[in-house]
Amino acid sequence: MVRSLPLTKSVTASLAAVALIASFSWSAPTPPPRPAKKKPPQPKLPDLKTPEDKLKFLEAIRASFPTIRSSNGAFTSADLDDMLRKYVTKETKTPFMPIVDDETFLRRVSLDLTGKTPTPEKIKSFTTDKTPRKRALLIDELLASDDYSRKWARYWRSVVFHNSAAPRNTVNPQAFEDWLFGEFKENRSWDRVVSEMISASPQRQKDVKPEENGWQQDYGPNNFILACERKPDIIASETARIFMGISVGCAECHDHPFDKWKREQFHEMAAFFSNGKYYMTDQDDPSKKSEVKAVFLLGEEPPSTLKPDQLRVAAAAYLVYNSDNYWFARAYVNRVWSELVGDGFYSVDSLGPDKDVVHQLIVNRVSSAFRYAGFDPKWLFRLIMNSEIYQRGIRTIDKPQDLFTSVRPARLRPYEVADNMERLTGELKGTRTGLERTFAQNPSTPQRDLEGTVQQALLMMNNGQLQKQLSNSPLKKQLAGIKDNDEAVREAFLAVLARTPSPAEIKRYSEYLKGSKDRNAAIDDMLWVLTNSAEFLVKR
Amino acid sequence: MFNQNLLRVGINPSGAITRRSLLQFAGGTAAASGTMAFLNAIGVNAAEMKKDGRACILCFLNGAPSQLETWDPKPNTENGGPTKEIATQMPGVTFAEWWPKLAQSKHVSLIRTIVGKEAAHERGAYHLRTGRRLTGTTKHPHIGSVAAWKLGDIASDMPNFVSIGNTEGAGFLGVKFAPFTIGTAGRLPDNIVSGVPAPRLDQRMKLLAQQDADLGLVGASAISNEHQELYKRAQKMMASPRLRAFQTDAEKPEVKEKYGKSSFGQGCLVARRLVEAGIPFVEVQRGGWDMHENLWQRMPTNAGEVDQGLNALLEDLKARGMLEKTLVVCLGEFGRTPKINQRTPEVGRDHWARNFNVLLAGGGIKGGQCVGKTSENGQEIVDRPVDVDDLFRTFCHCLKIDADEEMITPEGRPLRIVDAGSPVKELLA
Repeated sequence: MVRSLPLTKSVTASLAAVALIASFSWSAPTPPPRPAKKKPPQPKLPDLKTPEDKLKFLEAIRASFPTIRSSNGAFTSADLDDMLRKYVTKETKTPFMPIVDDETFLRRVSLDLTGKTPTPEKIKSFTTDKTPRKRALLIDELLASDDYSRKWARYWRSVVFHNSAAPRNTVNPQAFEDWLFGEFKENRSWDRVVSEMISASPQRQKDVKPEENGWQQDYGPNNFILACERKPDIIASETARIFMGISVGCAECHDHPFDKWKREQFHEMAAFFSNGKYYMTDQDDPSKKSEVKAVFLLGEEPPSTLKPDQLRVAAAAYLVYNSDNYWFARAYVNRVWSELVGDGFYSVDSLGPDKDVVHQLIVNRVSSAFRYAGFDPKWLFRLIMNSEIYQRGIRTIDKPQDLFTSVRPARLRPYEVADNMERLTGELKGTRTGLERTFAQNPSTPQRDLEGTVQQALLMMNNGQLQKQLSNSPLKKQLAGIKDNDEAVREAFLAVLARTPSPAEIKRYSEYLKGSKDRNAAIDDMLWVLTNSAEFLVKR
Repeated sequence: MFNQNLLRVGINPSGAITRRSLLQFAGGTAAASGTMAFLNAIGVNAAEMKKDGRACILCFLNGAPSQLETWDPKPNTENGGPTKEIATQMPGVTFAEWWPKLAQSKHVSLIRTIVGKEAAHERGAYHLRTGRRLTGTTKHPHIGSVAAWKLGDIASDMPNFVSIGNTEGAGFLGVKFAPFTIGTAGRLPDNIVSGVPAPRLDQRMKLLAQQDADLGLVGASAISNEHQELYKRAQKMMASPRLRAFQTDAEKPEVKEKYGKSSFGQGCLVARRLVEAGIPFVEVQRGGWDMHENLWQRMPTNAGEVDQGLNALLEDLKARGMLEKTLVVCLGEFGRTPKINQRTPEVGRDHWARNFNVLLAGGGIKGGQCVGKTSENGQEIVDRPVDVDDLFRTFCHCLKIDADEEMITPEGRPLRIVDAGSPVKELLA
C-alpha cells in the first residue's frame, strides 16, 4: 500500500513513524496469522522519554494515518435511522416505539450529557420553545457545558478504576478525572486521549513518599497505567478490555476458553509494557520462564530495537492508528451507544467471537464513520442523540432481535443518584459516600444485568440525615409556601422527577395533601415517595 | 400485584410448568392477590418448599488458597517448600502446620482432587459459587440463591440468603433470591430503622406502589416491579423480630473469643446466629489468599483466623444440635501452582485449577473422610478426580435439593440446577 507522507516539522519523527507504520499488518484483520515479511530499514527513533515527545511522535503518525484525511465519509443521523429501519425490521415484527415528548427528551438528554435532571425553569423554557431544531440545539448546548465533560470524565474514571486493585497511595483517580475533564472540554480526539494513557510510563520517584506524588500519579494521564499497577499483564488485558472491547484476561493463564486468543498472544501483548525483557511463565512449571517479544494482538511486530518508552508508543500506535484494528473505534462506539440507548451491540467489555455481535453491519458502519470523523467524541454523541433510535420511548426488551426498536430504561450511576439527591437536600457529606457505595455497580455491566438491592431501598427509605435534610430543604419550604395543592404537586414533580405530573397523579397527591391533618408532614410524605420512586433512579 | 420475578423460574419438571405457561396463566388471572395466592393457585405450598431446616454456610476464601499450605501438604519435596505437616483425625492424612484446630476436628472431611476449569479470579469465583462457567449473556444464580429459592420461605420477613461481603447475585432467578449483603458482621444492617411510625410508613408505601406502577405503564415494568419487590422486602425486614440475629452483643464474651476477634471469626458467629434464626444460606469470607508473593509470610495469619473461626463454628453447631442439618463448606476459587515461583520480594505460588482442595462438614457429610489423592509433587491427580459438578451435586444432596430440577432462563431455555456429575458418595453419611 502506498501512502503519501506529510511534511511535518519533525522529519526525524515522521521518518521513524513511517518505520513504525510499516510494521503494521495491513493484511488479514483476524489473528492469529502473522505476515512473514521483510522488515524495512529502520531509522533511529527518538528516545520518547517525555509525554511531550511521545505526543509529538504520535501526532506524526496520526498525520499519516490514511483514513483520518479522508473527508467523504459523511454519515448522518438520518443515514443511521435508515440503516436501523432496514436491518431491525428484518429481525422482528415488534413495532418501533414512538418518539418521546419534549419533557422526556429533555430529562433523558440532560442525564446523558450532564448526569443531572433539568431544573424546573429549564423544563418550562424548553417545552414552550417554538424553535424547529430545538432538540439538536439543546444537544449542542449541553455538549458545550462543563457538566458534559465532567459526566464523561467520571464515567471513564469509574470504568478504569472499578476493577483496579492498585494501592490507594499509588494512584490519583481525581487527577485522572480532572485530566479527562480537560480533554473532553477541548473535545480532544479519542485516539489522542487513549494513546496518551497507553504510552505513559510513570516512574517511582526516589526519596518521595508514595502518597506525595511518589508514583507521578498527580499527572492525570499516568493513572491508567498506575490503576493497572504498572504490571504488563494487567495493562495488556485492561487495554484490550476497555479500548478494544475484547476480553483476553483469562488468556493470561491458558488459551481463551471461548475465543481464538492464545495464551502466547496475550503475553506478546503484555511484552509491550515491560520495563525490560518480558518473560512468560511456563504453564506447568512456574519456575521456568521463556522470553517473549512484543507482538500486537493483530500480529504487528515492532522493530526489535525499541526501548521500553518507545515500545509503549508503538503499542499506542498499533492500538489507535492501525486501520485493521476496527476494535478500537468499535469499542468506543459500543460503550457510548450502550450508555445512551441502554443496550449495546455486545456486552461492552466481554466480546467473545464476532458472531456474538448483534447488528454487526450497523455498529461497523458507525465505527468506521467515527474514525472518518477523526475520532471526534462529540460527533458520535450528535450522531446518536439526533437519531430516532435515541429519541424513542422506553420498553424492556427481552429478545435480542427486538433491540433498538426502543430505548431501555437505564439505572443512573451511583454518583448521579447522589448528585440528584444533593440537589434537593444540599450537601450530604458522609451519607453521600454511603449512597455512592450502596448504589455501586460495575460501569461495564450491561444495563439489562443490573439489579437493585434491599440495602438501597433501606437507605433511601430510612437514612436519618437524608430525611432530615430533605425535610428542611429549600424545596420543602417552597412547597409549604404554595397554598394551592395542585400547584404544589406540580412543582414537586418538576423538581424531583423533572416532569409534569399526569392529571391522575395531581389528583392523587392533591387529595392526600388535602386529607392530611398536618400538611407539612404530608409534603414530607410526598417528597419521600417521589425520591423513593423507581423513576427517581432511572433514565426513561 | 403479580410478581414478575417468579416468571423467571420454572417450578418443577414433573409439573411441566414452563415460563410460557406461567405467562399465560398470569395473563388469565393476573389479579391473583399476592405471591402466596399465586403459589397456592399453582399447587405449590410455601411451607412445603422449606425443607426441614436444612441450611448451608459457605466460607469463601477469596483469592484462591494454596492446597499445599492448607490441607494437602507435600513436606520434604521440592514443591512442598518449607511447609510442615501435622497429623489429623483422619488416618494417614496430614494438614499443613497452620491448621491445628481443624486437624483435630472429627467433623471435617476433605476432597483433595477438585478439578477446576478456571484460573482467573473472576471466572473461578463465578464457577465455584454458581457451579457454572461464565459464558455469554446468561447470568447463573449463586448456589446460595438456589438454596434461598428451594429451602427458603418465600414470604419470609428476613432474606433467605445473607452474605457478609460482596458475592455473586441471583442471576436469572431475580432479586427475590438475591443475597442480602452486609459489610461488617455483628451489628444491625444499616438504615434498618424507620424514621416514621408504621401507619405513616404504610401510607407512604401505598403511594409509592402507585407511583411505581405509573412508571411500569410507560415501559419500565421490569424495573418498577423489581423496585416494588425490594421495597416490600425492605419493609418486612424492618419489622422482623429476627433482626437480632445480625447482632452479636448478646453473645457471651467467651463465645465471641472462641470464634476469634477476626472479622472472619465474627462472621462465622453471625452465620451461626442467622442459620439458627432460619436463614437457609449464609456466605462468610476471608480474603488475601492470592499469594503470588510472600506466601509463607502471609499464610500464618490468614490460616490461623480461618482455622479458629471455622472450628469454633463446627463445635458450636454441634453443641446446638444444628450440625446434622447444616452443611459447612470451605473453599476458594481455585488452587495454586505446586511449583514455587521466583517472584520478589519473597516467593509464592501462582494460579492453578487442575487440582485443589475443599473442606466440608455437617449437613449429612460423614466426618473424617479424605477423598482423592494427588501425586508426590502435587501436580497430578493420582486417584479420584472430582469435578465442580460433582461437588455441587454433593451440596444439593446434602441440602435435599433436586439437582436435576430445571430452571428456566429468561431466554426460555431449561437449565438443570447442576448439569452433570454425581454426589461424592464416600462423603455421605
